[in-house]
Amino acid sequence: MVNKEDFHLEDPTWCPGCGLYGIFDALKRAAASLNLEPEQTVVITGIGCHGRVNNYFKSYGFHGLHGRVLPVATGVRLANPGLTVISVSGDGDAYSIGQGHFIHALRRNVRLVYLVVNNQVYALTEGQVSPTSPFGFVSASTPYGSKEFPLDGPTLALAAGGTFIARGFSGEVAHLAKLIEKAVNHRGFSLIDILSPCVTHNKANTYDWYKGHIDKLDEDLSSNPQDKMEAWKRLQGSEKIPIGLLYQEQKPTFEELVLAEKEKPLGLVPLEVEVSRIKKIMEKFQ
Amino acid sequence: MRNIQKVRSDILQDMRKAKKMIDDLSVMIAGKAGDGVLFTGNVLAKAFKRQGWEVATCRDFPSNIRGEATNYTVRTSLNQVHGRRDTVDVLLAFDCEAILRHVRDIAEGGVVLCDGEGVGEMAESLRKGKTFHRSLLKKLARENFGHEIYKNMIALGALTYLLNLDPQILKRIIEETFLEKKGKEIVEKNTQALSLGWKEAKEIIKDKERHPLIKQRDKARLILTGDEAIALGALAAGCRLFAAYPICPATEIWQWLAFHLPSFKGTVVQTEDELAALNMAIGASFCGVRAMTATSGPGASLMMEAFSLAGMAEIPVVIAQVQRLGPATGIPTKSQQGDILQWIFGSHGEFPRIVLAPGTIEECFEFTIEAFNLAEKFQCPAVLLTEEDIAQNLRTSKDFNLQKIVIDRGKLLNQKELLQIKNFKRYEFTADGVSPRALPGMKNGLHLVEGNEHNERGYRDEDPLNRVLMMEKRMRKLRAASQDVPSPRIWGDRKAKIGIIGAGSTLGPILEAMAELGQKKMKSKFLQLRTLWPFPKRQAENFMASCQEVFIIENNYTGQLSHLLKSQIQTSLRVKNILKYSTLPFMPGEISTQIQGMLGW
Repeated sequence: MVNKEDFHLEDPTWCPGCGLYGIFDALKRAAASLNLEPEQTVVITGIGCHGRVNNYFKSYGFHGLHGRVLPVATGVRLANPGLTVISVSGDGDAYSIGQGHFIHALRRNVRLVYLVVNNQVYALTEGQVSPTSPFGFVSASTPYGSKEFPLDGPTLALAAGGTFIARGFSGEVAHLAKLIEKAVNHRGFSLIDILSPCVTHNKANTYDWYKGHIDKLDEDLSSNPQDKMEAWKRLQGSEKIPIGLLYQEQKPTFEELVLAEKEKPLGLVPLEVEVSRIKKIMEKFQ
Repeated sequence: MRNIQKVRSDILQDMRKAKKMIDDLSVMIAGKAGDGVLFTGNVLAKAFKRQGWEVATCRDFPSNIRGEATNYTVRTSLNQVHGRRDTVDVLLAFDCEAILRHVRDIAEGGVVLCDGEGVGEMAESLRKGKTFHRSLLKKLARENFGHEIYKNMIALGALTYLLNLDPQILKRIIEETFLEKKGKEIVEKNTQALSLGWKEAKEIIKDKERHPLIKQRDKARLILTGDEAIALGALAAGCRLFAAYPICPATEIWQWLAFHLPSFKGTVVQTEDELAALNMAIGASFCGVRAMTATSGPGASLMMEAFSLAGMAEIPVVIAQVQRLGPATGIPTKSQQGDILQWIFGSHGEFPRIVLAPGTIEECFEFTIEAFNLAEKFQCPAVLLTEEDIAQNLRTSKDFNLQKIVIDRGKLLNQKELLQIKNFKRYEFTADGVSPRALPGMKNGLHLVEGNEHNERGYRDEDPLNRVLMMEKRMRKLRAASQDVPSPRIWGDRKAKIGIIGAGSTLGPILEAMAELGQKKMKSKFLQLRTLWPFPKRQAENFMASCQEVFIIENNYTGQLSHLLKSQIQTSLRVKNILKYSTLPFMPGEISTQIQGMLGW
């Protein structure tokens, strides 16, 4: 039996009170409860405060470019579908610079967990407006208030064919850990948009603000929401921000559909030049 | 036996007398996009090859599907050729405009075969020295076969007669093309169309106007495009993930692999953009798959970001870049060499990369395999830099040797080896800069692949000393790689004092220009740069030192190879640039006349 501390590599150094502490804790709890093995797990992160997760969480890791988490994660899944892939982005990483990859990973239904740490601000670059910041948000880049309307990741995911759409809150660690567990077990792409206060750069969306605005759908996550219209209504209709599993459906994964090699991870198949078969193909060029 | 040889030599003598001893012939097929110009040319090219001749085609296509003027030159020769030449012997024109466009390209004694519908009389000045024949190709096609598309096969029949090709070869090609895909009836109709064209031509073309090609023995050779050779190379090298976004003129690499890779248990993914394509290949390679992408112009610019990541994270990956005319969208179907410096010096930061430039079809195949080996041995991105001219045009090539292919995965560890290592460090400092590599899923290999500056274990590290050591470790790999990459090849007379330097698809016109200069008793030699990075400094310096005059031939405006050369070597010699940045590749005559002009001959 593994312990959550088996996944603890180093103590994080995020700002005291940062929502990422809760997310880190939830991730470790989920990993322990799922009995994951660090060596069979790959955590792929983008650029932003969240990207430091790789330095603290014990697993194989890939910390690449801003916004390019999902193509790398897809490549990893195709190379070795035996690995548990947990990808982490910020709201800027996922919904702004990586937006194109986001909707395409959703429609491909690659089996991976996508944790979007949504603090509604660009924090690592010292506090600019993000695509999820509310209208009128005052930030370093919008001193007179943002003139753009926010987008909503889960709504977008629903439209793009997402098969597991959830929202969590970093202040509800036990609930978030359960969501992550469920996401890892989901056969397909699972999005968890995680509301996560930035104590340094977002003075509007604080823990207290979230506590007054969230609406927990289902404490023990036992429900199985398969109604798309219902999910749509929840996301659009209520005054409060729903947290929990919003929608889930079963579809074949991209890996199941495109991988010709089923027995062994593609990356571990020994390479040999199949001379006679290639020779046969070359006959077409004669 | 002796008797047969006697008869044969008599025939050859007669032909020589009648100036019909043809050893090199160019056929241009011209019309509108949608006319089937490419199909007709490709069938002809294959027929020439099976007739035992060497072939090189050149497409001059607009970047749309239908309506605009297009032409395709199929050149055949008894000697290996790598491109088109200055004139055309036979013009097959599907409309009047095609004749007017290309009449000046036709050599003395040339033949024009045109679709007579709607074509008026040519002015005498244009007709001079050429023979014009009209045939109602489209009308014949409609009346006999119910569809204009058969005009192509009728025209091929006429060319079969004109060039004295073996009709059996054509019939066989028709069968191969249509039997499986379209069935017996279509094969029969096409064969009939071929015969009809042959008979038509026999009626209207006089014997002395024919350009008979003497059949040779069809040695074991191939006829394929550079894109196909690269795709075949990737397959043979063990590429098992190919991710790309559609773009001319690189898409053929992918389409070929999309068809063949699955049966080798590989996967092809059409990504949402080029950013995703290279990142996905990097992700797969991180987990041990030989992965590749292919692109051109604008796609190459989008890949620059991930190119840098592969360099920093030390992930092997192969990028095939088929250069097209830029900047911006440029002209997507035309050849150019405007992206050389981008791949050598481009992207943010400094990192090792390997850039290979195949000049022949065989090199397209071999260097692709080489690129996969080099990428893994030196754990860095390897670029195959080609141009539209070689990527999309057909060439004959000697058969590829599959037996001598070696797959070298460098310092990639297997589980057993990894278990024996105490304290595994993915980015360990080593003498050659290359560190041992473990794959996710392996025991005892936990590490972070990091795009931030990192320490030996892969974790973010901003210590100044570590940065210096890490930078030097990565860059050191190039020194080792320079011993391993394809070295430059010297063509021509090594004692010659006139030197030519070039890379990629300019090889064909350069070699022919040298032959033209040779006929004028001007000896020259050619340094074919086959690896552009790491730059072959020593060989280039030695070559320069052995020349009195050096010309650099490039398909671009600013002389990028020339800049590269000057930045890398010490020489007192002033090199002269011969540059072409129009929509067509070099013609041999353009190079030879410019060299003569610059030398004051």
